[in-house]
Amino acid sequence: MASVLQTIVEKKHYLFVDKVDSWQEAVRLSAESLVADGSVDADYYQQIVNCIEKYGPYVVFDHYVAMPHSQENASGVHKTGIGFMRVKEEVSFGKDEDGEEKVAKLFFTLAACNPDEHLNNIQQLMGVFCNEELLDALMEANTPEDILAAEIAHPIEED
Amino acid sequence: MAKLDNKTFLVCCANGAGTSLMMKMTLEKVLKKLGVKPGRIHHCAISEGKSSASQFNIVFTTVNFAGMMKAAEEKGTVVLGLKNVMSAAEMEQALRNAGLAD
Repeated sequence: MASVLQTIVEKKHYLFVDKVDSWQEAVRLSAESLVADGSVDADYYQQIVNCIEKYGPYVVFDHYVAMPHSQENASGVHKTGIGFMRVKEEVSFGKDEDGEEKVAKLFFTLAACNPDEHLNNIQQLMGVFCNEELLDALMEANTPEDILAAEIAHPIEED
Repeated sequence: MAKLDNKTFLVCCANGAGTSLMMKMTLEKVLKKLGVKPGRIHHCAISEGKSSASQFNIVFTTVNFAGMMKAAEEKGTVVLGLKNVMSAAEMEQALRNAGLAD
């Protein structure tokens, strides 16, 4: 079975940009590849932005990783998938409740309407997010080939 | 004779679709490592979790939501807030700090 990163490349769910003006813009752009093939509607990203504005930057994890998402079966989602985006310049989501600034360079934006596929995506993403060497390599990626090469060089551990 | 056998768990985040699923997977990993056979693990969004938390023995949520679970805590539910939902070490430590794991 294809890995999440292979699927991202295969479905052209990726974008490489140098910088963005705001985290809201980053969320919009990170969903663009999902919009392109009809996986989500053009305004899907707005639900994610609303959620982050309401609950804070909880979608930003350690090591420059953000996983913008809305709820399962959110309106405007037609296919389950992950929109990948790498931004060269870190994007700030502001501070969390402890005053720690949350920043991201790697975006894995989720669209979920099929529970099994979504669960599989989440399970695999955890493997990616826990693999710091792989994340470092993805931050340097400029092409889809770089994504695939990063995964081959730093395979995801199964457990 | 793990202290956590048959206990019920709720994992809860903003949407109940991304972060809480990750927390659930981390929890399954930790419980397996500790040799615990949990009663039930349910994941949901904070909107549901606020009202259903008291029906569970232990609730895991992100730090920012832990404060919303006061009512359940008063009814005896143990509420544990996590900073990193993918950290098995942090979760295990939280259980230990609460006296729920050796």
